[in-house]
Amino acid sequence: MEILRIEGLAKIFGSGELEVRALEDINLSVSKGELVALLGPSGSGKTTMLLCISLILEPTSGKIDFDGQTIFQKNGWAGVDMRRLRREKVGFIFQSHNLIPFLTARQNVLLPLNLIGIKGEKAENRARELLEYMEIAHRADALPALLSGGEQQRVAIARALANNAKLVLADEPTASLDTARGTKVMEILKKIARENQTAVIVVTHDVRMVNGFDHVYHLKDGRLNSQET
Amino acid sequence: MDLAFQDLKRHKGRFIATIIGVGLLFTIVLAMNGLYRGNIADGTALIRSTNPDLWVVQRYRGGPFNEQSTLPEFYHYSVESVPGVEKASPFIYYTVERLVHRQSRHFSIVGYDVFGGLGGPKHIIAGRGIGQAHYEMVAHVKLGVQVGDRIPLGLHTYTVVGLTNDAVDGDGDPIVYLSLHDAQEVLYQPDNEEVRNERARLLQTLSGQSYLSPDQAKKLLGPLQPDTHIVNAILVQMKPGANRKEAAGMIEKWLYLNAYSTKDEVQLLLKGRLASISKQLLLFRVLLLLISVVIISLVVYTFTMEKIRSIAVMKLIGAPDWEIIRMVLEQSLLLTVSAFLIGQFIIHNTYSKFPRTVLLVPGDDLVTFIVALMGGVLASILGLWNALKTQPATALGE
Ligand SMILES: Nc1ncnc2c1ncn2[C@@H]1O[C@H](COP(=O)(O)OP(=O)(O)O)[C@@H](O)[C@H]1O
Ligand SMILES: [Mg+2]
Repeated sequence: MEILRIEGLAKIFGSGELEVRALEDINLSVSKGELVALLGPSGSGKTTMLLCISLILEPTSGKIDFDGQTIFQKNGWAGVDMRRLRREKVGFIFQSHNLIPFLTARQNVLLPLNLIGIKGEKAENRARELLEYMEIAHRADALPALLSGGEQQRVAIARALANNAKLVLADEPTASLDTARGTKVMEILKKIARENQTAVIVVTHDVRMVNGFDHVYHLKDGRLNSQET
Repeated sequence: MDLAFQDLKRHKGRFIATIIGVGLLFTIVLAMNGLYRGNIADGTALIRSTNPDLWVVQRYRGGPFNEQSTLPEFYHYSVESVPGVEKASPFIYYTVERLVHRQSRHFSIVGYDVFGGLGGPKHIIAGRGIGQAHYEMVAHVKLGVQVGDRIPLGLHTYTVVGLTNDAVDGDGDPIVYLSLHDAQEVLYQPDNEEVRNERARLLQTLSGQSYLSPDQAKKLLGPLQPDTHIVNAILVQMKPGANRKEAAGMIEKWLYLNAYSTKDEVQLLLKGRLASISKQLLLFRVLLLLISVVIISLVVYTFTMEKIRSIAVMKLIGAPDWEIIRMVLEQSLLLTVSAFLIGQFIIHNTYSKFPRTVLLVPGDDLVTFIVALMGGVLASILGLWNALKTQPATALGE
């Protein structure tokens, strides 16, 4: 079942001499539980694509359907509350971990739960489950500054999974990790796709990391080429 | 989980330093409120505690407190004969600086008819009232004397026979009650030396007049001594049911004097001597409150700008704007309320140690609190404005 459909998506930064065509005529379809890799060199538009899909950036043109709803059309925002959509249906794992520095690991996971109205013991239990799943429960009460890069990334993944998202977007989640830990994170993302029927789009520039993905796409100069594994 | 609180918890030291600082500022705001009230209360205390039906003073003068007023002592007989007047008593009031227990003290002297006249102390809290025509005094407790102490004033020494806590003078200094004639003597005859000089000067003037023989000149010295039977006001008590306005009109029309009710006397002071200092204190109150709001606003702005990245992350994970507004506002209010409580705590534990009377009125505290609270909300606007226009993508840069 199709969860995400992108047609003719384009993103142009600036105008005139400074114009940067970051994305051009992107077409993509992702189904429930599908694991998709997005490969490409630095500056090829990978991050821009994830930001456009989640409407953190407004695309220049094209059409995006998400979960049976048109969320963007050529002539602008389709009148959806995108922040609500993000907190309810999308999980985001950023290149930089982006934990909230004044909240403990546990509280960082509680935040998205609270935002969708899950509070109290129910929220606490779910946060503990997620941290245990990410094998970081023993550091639950530590502030982000006291965690290593790998530990922070695991908390960030726990946070992205908290809302039981239909779509998880991960921007180079392994970039700051060594190969062993990187592979481990990829395994977890695969597990999420398989176990929760969540569609997962992972951006990476490391070809070795994409074993076992359903689809691997190459992004080059803002254009997308499909390449089956 | 409360975001505002969690953030402050991580910055405990700075938060506490800030609320102590702003709290001290609020202490001064509240002290100014109290000084403003105290200034008015002190300034009018003697008028309100004396509280006769009418104050009769020199014509065209707003006396005896807002302006100087002098009139011959015997006028009280004329005033007493006005229809409706039950009793009219002479009253004298002036401020001196004298040695009390070898310390120079600023205080005011009230002279009144000690045998049943108006204008004496209302509450004697130790000892008794003045019982004889001369050399006794009743002092306000603030003067720091005890019953039985002997205080020299001018030519004589006075025995403290009683203590009162009725009223202080307009400067917040104690009041000393004397019999009318003692008060006149203390005012007009400071010491023998001056009396001798005055006589010598007068004799020289008279001797210069060719139509007077030296003997005649000497004989005139006595009657020409300056008249000390001068008072500042005549206090009037009306007969039950008598018309005060009518009597006042009659006194003004026929005796060529001015007559004020106690309410009028208070108004004279509020519009006169107390007006500029009251305005000054009011200005300080407003300025200090503004400064507090500006400081809170700067602190909230800094707290918010430090969290801009976190705010962007919150937007990325889909937090609605009101969650962000709530976080900023809560911090601002937590700051304002804690600082205010500190200020209130400090002033309520120190107000009695201020040199001037600080009169704390619950209504003033409440109004200040409400203004501070609104100021706190206003103060967050700059921070909020920045928080809300933050692009979520801000969080993505390294
Ligand atoms: N906010 C922006 N303004 C202008 N150009 C941008 C902006 N963000 C990205 N770009 C440009 O768009 C292109 C794609 O960037 P990005 O999506 O970050 O690449 P990647 O994530 O694949 O490294 C780059 O040329 C980059 O310089
Ligand atoms: Mg990138």
